[in-house]
Amino acid sequence: MRQPGMYSGMLSGISGKTGPHSLPLARIKKIMKKSGDDVKMISGEAPIVFSKACELFIEELTRQSWAMTMQGRRRTLHKDDVASAVAATDIFDFLVNLVSEPPNADEDAPGGTNNIEH
Amino acid sequence: MVDEQERLLPIANVGRIMKLILPPSAKISKEAKQTIQECASEFVSFVTGEASDKCHKENRKTVNGDDICWALSSLGFDDYAEAIVRYLHKYREHESERANHKQQTSKARDVTGQHDHEDKEEGDDDEGLCLTDSPRGKGITSTRHRHPAPLEFRIIDRNETSPF
Repeated sequence: MRQPGMYSGMLSGISGKTGPHSLPLARIKKIMKKSGDDVKMISGEAPIVFSKACELFIEELTRQSWAMTMQGRRRTLHKDDVASAVAATDIFDFLVNLVSEPPNADEDAPGGTNNIEH
Repeated sequence: MVDEQERLLPIANVGRIMKLILPPSAKISKEAKQTIQECASEFVSFVTGEASDKCHKENRKTVNGDDICWALSSLGFDDYAEAIVRYLHKYREHESERANHKQQTSKARDVTGQHDHEDKEEGDDDEGLCLTDSPRGKGITSTRHRHPAPLEFRIIDRNETSPF
């Protein structure tokens, strides 16, 4: 059974203990190092903290995006729903440019209809 | 050549976390997963940048868990910060217990008696055991203070008369 809730990962499931984490620590560390030139030394616990923080972040962004999906009475979460969730949430402001980048192909055009305008 | 995927978290993991939040009948488009995958990396960069700035201002070289918690709070992710402070506390307790056990067993075997700094990841100069940088270390710097007496010398007793 799925457990909705912000701290579902804290209590059980994904990483209820400090054992295996749901996200690879080495990869997290790489991303941290790439974030800036002055990021040189990272303590062993920092990627572990991020593993948890990213879980919470992904959960929240997903939840907000799904709310947009439901508003549109759909059952498939689309990229536009993520963009709408980002636009509607203050703390996701840092993502605005990232989600509004034009896709490679216009598959996810809003409305999803063919362009048969006259 | 840097693999593009190296700057992103694995999409399978991202998808799994997403599915746990959504109802069983929900579907997720591939582009949506990719978008959230990108957002997660951006999140790490964003928070790390803030944490790193703080370290820089305080003349510290190592970004630690407390810095991340502070950055999360500073950037508006207060809820995460609270949950993670608790998680970090549990992790540190766990680590200090492990260190305690390792110290005991390495004392039993090593002649030199030095405890090893386990290198979980390359390039670290701090581990979870020695939180000298952290203002909220709460006495975890030395495990000997917490457990002065009960040392498990059962192995020694059976095989050797003296620990040295």
